[in-house]
Amino acid sequence: MTALAKRYWHALINQKKLFIYTFLWSFFLWITSPFLIILLKSVGRNWFGKRWLPPELTLDWYKWALTIANIPQVLSNTLIIAAIAVTISTLLALPTGWALGRRKVPAKEVLTSIILLPRMIPPIAYALGIAQIFYRLHLVDTHLGVALAHVAICAPYAILVLSSTFEGLDERVLEAAAVCGASQLRTFFHVTLPLVLPGILSSIIFTFTTSYNEFTLTLMTYGPHTITLPVRTYLAVGEGYWEVTSALSIILIIPSLFVLFMVQRQVQPEKLVGGFKGV
Amino acid sequence: MSHFTNKRQNLITFLLLSPGLAGFFGLFFYPMLVTLFRSLRPEGQTSGWTLGNYAAFLSDPDFRGIIWLTFFLAITSTFLSILLSVPLALLLRRKPVGHRLFRLTILVPITVPGLIGALGLLLFWGSRGWFNLLLLQVFRLKAPLTINYTLTGLVIFYVWHYFSYTAITTLSTLEGLDPAFEEAARVAGATPWQVLRYIVIPLIMPGILSGSVLTFMAAFGAFSIPLITGGNYRPLSVAIYKQIGIFIPARWSAASAMAMIMAALQVVFLIFYMRILRRPMA
Amino acid sequence: MDDNMIELRNVTKRYGPIVANANVNLSVRRGELMTLLGPSGCGKTTALRCITGQVTPDEGRVFIDGVDVTDVPTHKRELGMVFQNFALFPHMTVYENVEFPLMIRRVPQGQRREMVMDALRLIRMESYAQHYPRQLSGGQQQRVGLARALVYHPKVLLLDEPLSNLDAKLREEMRFEIRDLISRLGITALYVTHDQAEALALSDRVAVMNAGRIEQVGTPDEIYESPRSRFVADFIGLSNFIRGKVLAIERGMAIVAVNHIKLMVPAAEGTQVGQDILVFIRPNDVRLFPVDFAKAENTFEGVVHKLTYLGDTIDYRVIVAEGVQIRVQTDGKVRFNAGEAVKVCLPEARCRVILE
Ligand SMILES: Nc1ncnc2c1ncn2[C@@H]1O[C@H](COP(=O)(O)OP(=O)(O)O)[C@@H](O)[C@H]1O
Ligand SMILES: [Mg+2]
Repeated sequence: MTALAKRYWHALINQKKLFIYTFLWSFFLWITSPFLIILLKSVGRNWFGKRWLPPELTLDWYKWALTIANIPQVLSNTLIIAAIAVTISTLLALPTGWALGRRKVPAKEVLTSIILLPRMIPPIAYALGIAQIFYRLHLVDTHLGVALAHVAICAPYAILVLSSTFEGLDERVLEAAAVCGASQLRTFFHVTLPLVLPGILSSIIFTFTTSYNEFTLTLMTYGPHTITLPVRTYLAVGEGYWEVTSALSIILIIPSLFVLFMVQRQVQPEKLVGGFKGV
Repeated sequence: MSHFTNKRQNLITFLLLSPGLAGFFGLFFYPMLVTLFRSLRPEGQTSGWTLGNYAAFLSDPDFRGIIWLTFFLAITSTFLSILLSVPLALLLRRKPVGHRLFRLTILVPITVPGLIGALGLLLFWGSRGWFNLLLLQVFRLKAPLTINYTLTGLVIFYVWHYFSYTAITTLSTLEGLDPAFEEAARVAGATPWQVLRYIVIPLIMPGILSGSVLTFMAAFGAFSIPLITGGNYRPLSVAIYKQIGIFIPARWSAASAMAMIMAALQVVFLIFYMRILRRPMA
Repeated sequence: MDDNMIELRNVTKRYGPIVANANVNLSVRRGELMTLLGPSGCGKTTALRCITGQVTPDEGRVFIDGVDVTDVPTHKRELGMVFQNFALFPHMTVYENVEFPLMIRRVPQGQRREMVMDALRLIRMESYAQHYPRQLSGGQQQRVGLARALVYHPKVLLLDEPLSNLDAKLREEMRFEIRDLISRLGITALYVTHDQAEALALSDRVAVMNAGRIEQVGTPDEIYESPRSRFVADFIGLSNFIRGKVLAIERGMAIVAVNHIKLMVPAAEGTQVGQDILVFIRPNDVRLFPVDFAKAENTFEGVVHKLTYLGDTIDYRVIVAEGVQIRVQTDGKVRFNAGEAVKVCLPEARCRVILE
């Protein structure tokens, strides 16, 4: 009797496990299968009708993507723009983040919320203004122009991450270094810098990702010479060649996977989204 | 003397703050002003003042439909994101086999370019995609379901793209929760379900809400996703873009007026949401 | 009827290579306050969690009130527990916290209110009913924790280092408050602590635990006076251990040779002639006399090697035979100086044999 009850109980527990793993793996498939299907689409030929997998494989679509969609150009545009945006954002954010994180600033909370405002207002609202201003300044369709537009949305991020990094610096460590007779410069290079480097790195990773994926602001400031990856994807979807678009997507997704890897290794993901609690 | 150093310190603080402030004013505040002024100009002119653009939209039933659609999409996808994130976080917290992989999976939608995700989603949920193949061949349905370019499809895509914020925040709040609370409740006689209902959920509610604010903001301002997957459903961002992308000559003033309305709506909603968030724990 | 309220029978629990509980046998009698004493990491919490059901033992059974509860889920075990970090629900008021177990049990409203107020009165916190835990001091929080554990009259009260997050003075006060409360209610209690003073002051019986094993169970007196292992002796207080060989056993007294001196010690159970053993004595049981003191039992000549003033006591290190150093603590009435020759007396009745 008890043996039977025990078996029943174990069966139930196993059921629960089965249920849990079904849920987790469905979730996994729901997130990832779109990419798998893109991958298959990009190497498949004659994949029509009710087929799970493409019947023939080919690399033609990649050749097309490289020649017709001008991938090398797009990729270099995207990376150049992201690099400029990251550099400017970081340069803006370092002093400002330091001031917000470590100095007495009047009305700090208000100031922080104001600086974060661009992340709370739909980008399309100021993108309209930026487009008009940049048009007058002849910044439209230049790498610098598109990058500057990206800074509007990257800089608040960088400031947020850096100010919380600087705030977390342990005063006592710095003091100890000073007491030990280290000069300010030495303290900075040997004590402060190693402590804040992870924070700066995560700020760079986040701003890079933001810029690399930014669509709205790019769409309002781009031109034939500054087509970036999201814009190219958008145009390709409009053109309707799904196979070529898929090939293009697979090429363009590689840097993102690298970032994903970095995020997972280097920084806590909650920092990626955090900081809005106090808004 | 101290007055002097004080002044000096303030000056240094101001100098340090100024790059960030310059960025803010130059790239956000000034553009917003330009948008605001443009919204108050008669269409196609650079002088003169009018409230006509606002009046036109606010009395237009189509426009009201757009606002409802935008709110519907944002609220529904936020709600569904919470429904997905809470069980996901509860399971991942116990570190089941492969939990690292699932954690990484949560990050995918916010690191991979949204448009590529959208493309894959269109392929996956299309009438010849794997989802419909599954329905037809495994579940023996007669005809494929239409998901793409429907409201349901749009909600699915929104949740896919924006649930990460809620999930990450919920998970990190849950992991910061002292397991002693649950233990105390269990020993006091609560079933696992009661522990969840009376202890865990109320305690992680602030985390869930602050994550879902991010999901809501992203969904409310969503542009690229509805632009290519929305079909005839055009939430505010897309409607604004159409004003300058389709009409010739571009209707900048109309677009600006809509953008100002959208910004105002979002700010109002956020303030409302923050109120709930900051309410002392009941 | 079974006289044991809680019983662990041969309980073993492993975490990977770590054996948190190794074949633990422990019984707590009805109405008794027992402490489980041991250094941190020795497996006390694990044993407690086997009782609550948060941990399922790999081997062995757990009984509560004579019933095998090994496979009974936690919430059906009818226990009360107090936690080291209080674990009060931060989103509930003091009243709601104490009410929680009753709410779960669907006690009718009227009765519920009465029981909560009774429990709060017990710990003198009635006036704090509407406060939130974060508005209370540590001591107050822990009292509320007690009320929450006791409100539904559980069979057993478990306390996991309830005082170690409080400051020293408060800890001492609370110690007696808890003791009074438990004896007033007559509830069976198992109290976990790493503080030997707390264990000795509080409990009817003490179980000393080390590295996952129960080393000795006994009254505070027994544990202090007659530790059965070196670990227990060391953990409970200051100790002298003198290594020696049993020469003979006469009328219950063992004659132990330590270098060229001989000690008379009450023989422990199982002591055998020829065996290497430890002679144990507490430093404050050792007597010091001037050298001209008449010969008495277990008295030897020695030299004061070092002394330390500890306020009301003085701590001497005395060297007796070569290599044998004895620690002595005396009240400060008679004083000796460093280098002075003295007589050291180890009263027979205070010495113990410890078999290794
Ligand atoms: N959940 C767990 N996973 C792995 N090891 C554990 C776990 N719980 C306890 N341990 C280990 O078991 C041993 C005993 O722990 P514990 O019972 O908490 O000791 P105590 O309460 O006496 O300080 C420790 O070495 C601890 O590291
Ligand atoms: Mg413990």
